[in-house]
Amino acid sequence: MTNHYIDIKNSDVILIMGSNAAEHHPIAFKWILRAKDAGAKLIHVDPRYTRTSARCDYHVPIRSGTDIAFLGGMINYIISNDKYFKDYVVNYTNAPFILHQDFSFNDGLFSGYDPEKRKYNKDTWTFQKDANGVPMKDFTLQDPKCVFQALKQHYSRYTIDKVSSITGVSKENLLRVYSEYAATGVPDKAGTECYALGWTQHTSGSQNIRTMAIIQLLLGNMGIAGGGINALRGEPNVQGSTDHCILYGNLPGYLKMPSSSLDTIEHYLDKYTPKSNDPQSANYYINYPNFYVSWLKALYGEAATPENGFGYSWTPKMDDGKAYSQLHLFDKMLAGKVKGLFSYGTDPAVSSPNTGKTRKALEQLEFLVSANIFDNETCSFWKGPGVDPKKVKTECFLLPASATMEKEGSQSNSGRWVQWKYKAANAPGDAISCGDIQIRIIDAIKALYAKEGGPNAESVLNLKWDYKNRDGSMNVEKVSKQINGHFTVDVEIDDKGVKKQFKKGDCVPTFGMLKADGTTSSGNWIMAGSFEANGENKMKKRGKDDPTGLGLYPNWSFCWPVNRRVIYNRASCDVNGKPYNPKRKLLEWTGDKWVGDVPDGPWPPMADKEKGKYPFIMKQDGVGSLFGPAMAEGPFPEHYEPLEGPLTKNPLSSQLINPAIEIFKGEMDKTANASEEFPYVCTTYSCTEHWCSGALTRWQAWLLEMQPELYVEIGDELAKKLNIGNADWVVVSSARGQAKCRAMVTKRFKPFKVEGKTVHQVGMPFNYGWLYPEGGSDSTNFLTTTVGDANTFCPEYKAFMVNVAKVQGV
Amino acid sequence: MSSHEAVVRITDAEERIVHWLLAASCLFCLFTGLGLQFQAWDIIPTILGGYYASKLMHIYSGVVFTGMLAYSFYMWSRDCSFEDADLQWVLKAGGYLWPVKDLPPVYKYNAGQKAFFWILIVCGVVISATGLFMWLWNPLVVPAIIARLAYMAHAGAVVLLGAFIVVHMYLGTIGNPGTASAMITGLVSRAWCQTHCPRWLADHEKKEAQQ
Amino acid sequence: MKQEFVKLIDVSRCTACRGCQVACKQWNEMPASRTRQHGTYQNPQDLQWNTWTLIRFQEHVDKSGTLRWLFRKDGCMHCTNAACVKSCPTGALYYTEFGTVAINKEACIGCKACVAACPFDIPRYNEADEKIYKCDLCYTRLQEGQKPSCVLSCPTGALSIGKKEVMIEKAYARVKELGGDANVYGDKFVGSTHVIYVLTEKPEVYDELPSHPAVPFSIILWKNLFKPFTLIGLGAVAGLAGLHYLIKGPHKVHEKNEGGE
Repeated sequence: MTNHYIDIKNSDVILIMGSNAAEHHPIAFKWILRAKDAGAKLIHVDPRYTRTSARCDYHVPIRSGTDIAFLGGMINYIISNDKYFKDYVVNYTNAPFILHQDFSFNDGLFSGYDPEKRKYNKDTWTFQKDANGVPMKDFTLQDPKCVFQALKQHYSRYTIDKVSSITGVSKENLLRVYSEYAATGVPDKAGTECYALGWTQHTSGSQNIRTMAIIQLLLGNMGIAGGGINALRGEPNVQGSTDHCILYGNLPGYLKMPSSSLDTIEHYLDKYTPKSNDPQSANYYINYPNFYVSWLKALYGEAATPENGFGYSWTPKMDDGKAYSQLHLFDKMLAGKVKGLFSYGTDPAVSSPNTGKTRKALEQLEFLVSANIFDNETCSFWKGPGVDPKKVKTECFLLPASATMEKEGSQSNSGRWVQWKYKAANAPGDAISCGDIQIRIIDAIKALYAKEGGPNAESVLNLKWDYKNRDGSMNVEKVSKQINGHFTVDVEIDDKGVKKQFKKGDCVPTFGMLKADGTTSSGNWIMAGSFEANGENKMKKRGKDDPTGLGLYPNWSFCWPVNRRVIYNRASCDVNGKPYNPKRKLLEWTGDKWVGDVPDGPWPPMADKEKGKYPFIMKQDGVGSLFGPAMAEGPFPEHYEPLEGPLTKNPLSSQLINPAIEIFKGEMDKTANASEEFPYVCTTYSCTEHWCSGALTRWQAWLLEMQPELYVEIGDELAKKLNIGNADWVVVSSARGQAKCRAMVTKRFKPFKVEGKTVHQVGMPFNYGWLYPEGGSDSTNFLTTTVGDANTFCPEYKAFMVNVAKVQGV
Repeated sequence: MSSHEAVVRITDAEERIVHWLLAASCLFCLFTGLGLQFQAWDIIPTILGGYYASKLMHIYSGVVFTGMLAYSFYMWSRDCSFEDADLQWVLKAGGYLWPVKDLPPVYKYNAGQKAFFWILIVCGVVISATGLFMWLWNPLVVPAIIARLAYMAHAGAVVLLGAFIVVHMYLGTIGNPGTASAMITGLVSRAWCQTHCPRWLADHEKKEAQQ
Repeated sequence: MKQEFVKLIDVSRCTACRGCQVACKQWNEMPASRTRQHGTYQNPQDLQWNTWTLIRFQEHVDKSGTLRWLFRKDGCMHCTNAACVKSCPTGALYYTEFGTVAINKEACIGCKACVAACPFDIPRYNEADEKIYKCDLCYTRLQEGQKPSCVLSCPTGALSIGKKEVMIEKAYARVKELGGDANVYGDKFVGSTHVIYVLTEKPEVYDELPSHPAVPFSIILWKNLFKPFTLIGLGAVAGLAGLHYLIKGPHKVHEKNEGGE
């Protein structure tokens, strides 16, 4: 989230798209209802009418996987009806930037495409620069090569008729949403977007979010109270885990994982430290080396010295051009290239896409270590349906782990609030926390290495590993302080004109003090400042004061970065630092300082040509990206059909599917696009009553009572056509597998009119597996495709094709 | 011979046992029922070991009542069949309320007794049936509206039957001296018979003579 | 009576998360039943001895043809003139100082009279222990100044509890805000209930919700007429018999009556 949960109450129009907020964020939803009470409009765009739709002003059904078409139409509407916030667009986005001469877009493809590699050469996705190396701009936005004109041209193809025909959304509904949302493109109105897995779990998932980011920039909704792009993250601590690099390409704090061609730390830092010649661009990532070297210092402590590149050579590297996502992991595992798997708090035999393949892959392992609260389908895969235990050679270990309420530590919510929580009860039996498990394993490995040596020994032996209490258990506070970071020597720092002394071992109070010379350590730079220098844990703060009245609660917990509650908040003010919306004054420049939220940097507003900086300080050019060249499939999001869809041709171009996605071609990766055998669009989701694979919640009798077994939601019209009655047994099948379940016949799914034909959609929850309850259900993920987003490899759980048939004689 | 004896055996042991089982279970049900109905009478359930025990006793005693009711029907329904003369008897109120001449001679039971019997059977069936229903009612199978009517009918039938029982007790004891012995020893005086069931006595004496 | 409390269920704010359904079972230590999928989110299908509150899910197409998904939290309404209390023979069901209807399990004999009587079909009979179960609006929590567990669990403000006057006022204010068919349900019958709804649709639209609930006539007949008459009637008849004895005396057998016809 660029903003935070409570801030949603400040919004005037809330577009919930790609999220079933009421069902999956029931607590957060109260702030959405708070906004509604204050007069905000609530719009829900979703293939299915859900509990969220029930509480919104209205629901707009949309065919799965067509969000970019829907939003592209909105961009077209905003630009062609002059609804964008001009002052904001001109000053705070790259709309005026002049594009590379050779940048082009033609029939679904941008310039630089290599169809062999399914990858782009991005050389032309750049800006023209002046003699000083500063991007050239046309503030009138009239230059045909400027970003704004390119954007306008790109989305001019997304006409109401076209969008309606692709998405299956009626024209009236499109115009209703467009006009109501575009009305926030004025200084005193805020529109926000709430999304979740409904947007990310597509082959164009990242671009779904990008498209909305463009809309928010056009309407001036970024950086303001009640605005922003808000990913609703859930109880699995998704925010915390991504902050701490759950994704394979990341290091803590979203630093980049090095690849093997970057042989020295200098090469690595050179590649990932952005440069800007524009003096008004803060280009905050210029500090990248400070963050990275401090991370190495946290990893290796005293052993990391300038001489050995702070141990850069000891860290693991990725092969160039290779990806290491979950999809790749199981693909390689099936090919017998993965020997062992540590599966902590996860149940991929239920939760991973095309899980028939995943289960088969698990059989190729030599060992499998699970650490979980309960046994699950992954750990017990060897006795699962259709598996002959005698033929499985995998050695399986189940380590009993404690549950979240049985341990102390921090948890991060979507609003980036890192809140300390305390242990409520001791774990039963032998269960210990995953951290404790990790500590014991690494201790044993280190001891073995010390005794016997082994590959990459320096990495293991130099690893700083002093996180224990006297009794050998994990000291969470020590870990947290290590993440925050320390001064490794006594220093004196000039902090905004004040000289401050710090002793060796003091906590680093802000990432602004991190250094690339080895004098600081920080396990995760964005968390620097979660402790005061004296060691006071700011995550434990519970102050309820709200000086702005906007619900920022600055003294409640710690919020990264540096307790800033709304990111890019300087964009809520005009170039002179005066708030665009005086009624929701997030920040104001008083002539010598910013007052309100913690500003995005102390510099004056950009009208001060000498000291002033642009508001988007984390961006190389200091402005929001209407043109976003970092994306794998193009700087402007383009609609492509899901890997499996009902159409044979993309109505917008000859490029049917996302040109930059990796296609898995294994025996078990079969797909069936627009086939008669699998004629219905299917999407998957969770339900309020269960959590993820259900590995935890299915054991909870009260929850199981409410949602006992697998079901497929089928629109009443399709059910009638297929002669399926409510609660009948049906089999849902795809090119990859099938799942038997109960039919839930409902009015909440309606057929779509797509390209002149009727397209039916069904949906299934993915919370069930065979292990528990007894006589448990099939798993929905037998049906899903092995394919991921082009940027993140987030699997396409949300759109694929199935057939539904009644089971006779049951 | 025996015709000169002063007493006549009017009931046999079987009849007396059934009568008293029926009476006892009925009164026991009545009192436990009242105890459940009126919280002011909680002395009854208290003596019986609490409300729940009281409920159980009410139910089991009700089962006895139902059984005896059925047996009574089998035993007495013929003796209690109405005949034409009963109408005259009823019209003259059996001579209980105003001076009456030419009361039609009664066989074994007069019309009042017969009426009581049939009231007992009808109310008893209603009470037994509704009681049984209330005992075994599964609300998931039978709707509450039926149960409501059952509760109402149960109580209504008790009111009616209860009133008749009071009359029965009065007339069977002090109202008609010499009657009670019919249900205690089974023996009544020949004179009593002559008054209350002259036709039956005549039949009886004929049979005596034949022996 | 100390202070009457009213729980307000504002269905327009309910997201059917069913936190209340679980919180109720948790606080009251009621076990779950093994259920199956019945083609609806509603589960269990109805109130049970171990399910005192339940969200009813209902797909409804309104007059304008718009699909609405109605969520109604079903449970005891805590009537002022409660048919269950009226019908309860043992006093196991009783009015608390908050105006709510609580149940004294010890006293319950499982006669099911309350099950028959309740116009809202709330009390449930448990075969195993022959007792009646229903919501007591967390009586022990109310006594300690705590909210009922369902109210405590509600994230959206659909459930709230407070002084009767305040809550009724709040309900009418909300109905005014919502407009349309929105209405307050609960204050106009059975002496006003201590659970009231803000409904977005007319009461007759909702499943299992009586439009005109009342203490059933048969229960009134039973309790107000037949019950007193078992005593009055018996007493009167006994009195008449006594009177007859005094006036007419015993019906003596005429010793001198000639035998035979």
